[in-house]
Amino acid sequence: MELDELRPALDAWLDEHADELAPDEAGLATLDEQIAHLSQVKRLAFDAGWMRWGWPERVGGLGGPALLRAYLGEALTARGFVEPGMYSMTEVLAPTMIDFASPELAAEMVPRLLRGDETWCQGFSEPSTGSNLAALGCRAVATHEGWLVNGQKVWTSFAQFAQRCVLLVRTGTPESAHRGITALFVDMDSPGITVRPLEAMHGVPEFSEVFFDDVLVPVDRMLGDEGRGWAVAMDLLPYERSTALWHRGALLHRRLDQVLAAAEPGAVTPSEVGEAFQHLYAFRARSLATQRRLHAGGELGPETSIDKILIATAEQAVFDLAADGLADTVALGDDPTAARWRSEFLYSRAATIYGGSSEIQRNIVARRLLDLGPDR
Amino acid sequence: MDAGERALFAKGVQDATAGSTGADLDAALAALGWADALELDEHAAVADLFEAQGRAGATSGALDVVLVRALGEQAGAVVLPPLGRTTAPGHLQDGTVTVQGLGTAATGGDGPVHVACATDDGVVLATVDGLERRVIGGLDPALGLVEISGTAPGVTTGPVPWDDVVAAGQRAIAHELVGAAAAMLDLAREHALERIQFGVPIASFQAVRHRLADSLVDVESARGALDAAWEAGSPLDAAVAKAIAGRSGRLVARHAQQVLAGIGFTLDHPLHRYVRRVRVLDGLLGDARTLTRELGEQLLHERGLPAILPL
Repeated sequence: MELDELRPALDAWLDEHADELAPDEAGLATLDEQIAHLSQVKRLAFDAGWMRWGWPERVGGLGGPALLRAYLGEALTARGFVEPGMYSMTEVLAPTMIDFASPELAAEMVPRLLRGDETWCQGFSEPSTGSNLAALGCRAVATHEGWLVNGQKVWTSFAQFAQRCVLLVRTGTPESAHRGITALFVDMDSPGITVRPLEAMHGVPEFSEVFFDDVLVPVDRMLGDEGRGWAVAMDLLPYERSTALWHRGALLHRRLDQVLAAAEPGAVTPSEVGEAFQHLYAFRARSLATQRRLHAGGELGPETSIDKILIATAEQAVFDLAADGLADTVALGDDPTAARWRSEFLYSRAATIYGGSSEIQRNIVARRLLDLGPDR
Repeated sequence: MDAGERALFAKGVQDATAGSTGADLDAALAALGWADALELDEHAAVADLFEAQGRAGATSGALDVVLVRALGEQAGAVVLPPLGRTTAPGHLQDGTVTVQGLGTAATGGDGPVHVACATDDGVVLATVDGLERRVIGGLDPALGLVEISGTAPGVTTGPVPWDDVVAAGQRAIAHELVGAAAAMLDLAREHALERIQFGVPIASFQAVRHRLADSLVDVESARGALDAAWEAGSPLDAAVAKAIAGRSGRLVARHAQQVLAGIGFTLDHPLHRYVRRVRVLDGLLGDARTLTRELGEQLLHERGLPAILPL
């Protein structure tokens, strides 16, 4: 299957099944409703085959290039059928499983994620290690029964809904930095795990604190070898900055289009509109090139930090424009549509913070792309 | 061109632009067969030459060649719109052409020039002789721009796709802007690594690193937009890419000037040539501010976005 073949067939299917795929709520639904709806969309798309294209057959896929996944997520987002932040967790976590889990474990678990049977989360950040991921402290100690995990994670998206977690733990000495980290695939119903959702500024309890208190993880749940967790993280982050960002770009396009349709005359200046569109264009051009490079079999690395900087810039430009163009809606509206605009505007403030802050991305650009040597 | 031919061609134009400028560069490009390459692979020929020209701070008659080709003509020089504008520089009424525009150094001599003229029925092309020319000193004397104005009888050769002509010119100038911005970033980067203050290279300070990082993001974002604009081919895409390249050129100039500090403010250092060049290039065939405002006006009028850059 190639993209040119998939595109018209998928478009036709999406149009035909729009009633089943569209969310009931026009505006901001509860997170429970959103998760349930996402599962339904993934199930429908999986059963019709679309969700399986672009994934290897050994994990329940139908094969074909990853571009097919990029297009599916874009098409679903562009029609408002999915929220890309939630949908694209699959793009971040399934490739990691395929690359690092044992073939048996990947074959057992990945189809559940693709089919929408399960939600997974990613346990990376900790209270004392946000940007400095290599300093993480959540500990795992080897025992006869497996790894015994103690510690805390934070900013774990959708943890309260998740059945599994890709977890980074410290298995080396506290000073071992990136050399002493191991990646585990953890069942979230394991005894000793407590999830506490955070009340966040945008009104959606997307992020949680996750506490691990003597949580036992079987040895066959290691992703990669002991002490090789940094490689798992480094492998995962470029996925986070490629297909997942492409999907998010589709949301920004849809929202900017809606702002233009609904903006009060004179509420935004032509220059602001033109510049927001140009930021979106620059991101999409960059991300398109990234997709092409992936498609040609290229490895993704530090250059995807530029993609991340560009989408954060575009996201804030689009929602700044929304907050001005739909000022009454965002500031004063109390219906679900207003609540969604307000929530997304507030969420856009975090675009330069999550997934590696813009400062960290600039550090990567300076160190890895400009070769400026060590910083002070 | 295959990858090997392309690399060889790019090396050829880089050497030519590094070693010569003006009429000498035109001769070097003729020897390289650049005009033939333009017919063979417009994207490669324009991208490689104009980026190299921008990097070297060189000038040539290549923009006229690109515009003449887009106009469907064989040879000659083309009058550009006034600074910041994209509208046809001529106005035709009753067989008389009134012109207010700019020309490259290639239009500096006597003789007829191609003038796109606005009429009630769209843009037509006229060949006009006897216009006044003034060589412009201005901010960037080395660019050799010429002001072209006056009223003269014109021979009309028919309608032209002016939007496509503007787009072809915008892509070329955008590549030149990218080259100039990349050259400024290189200068600032080298300086930051060599300049020692407080016992360490200033490149180790985050305030400096982030300016350089932002500059690379700007350069790469303009490059990416340009690649996309070539693929999409439409006037809207070319204008977006030109605006992004113009804004990026200005931002990189600002960062490079700050990082290069005192030495970059002297005429001994090459930075000033690029600072001048990007400012004037930004103004040719629509500056970033004007193009951005016009784009916004169009989108507000349409109350929606066009589909862009499909996978």
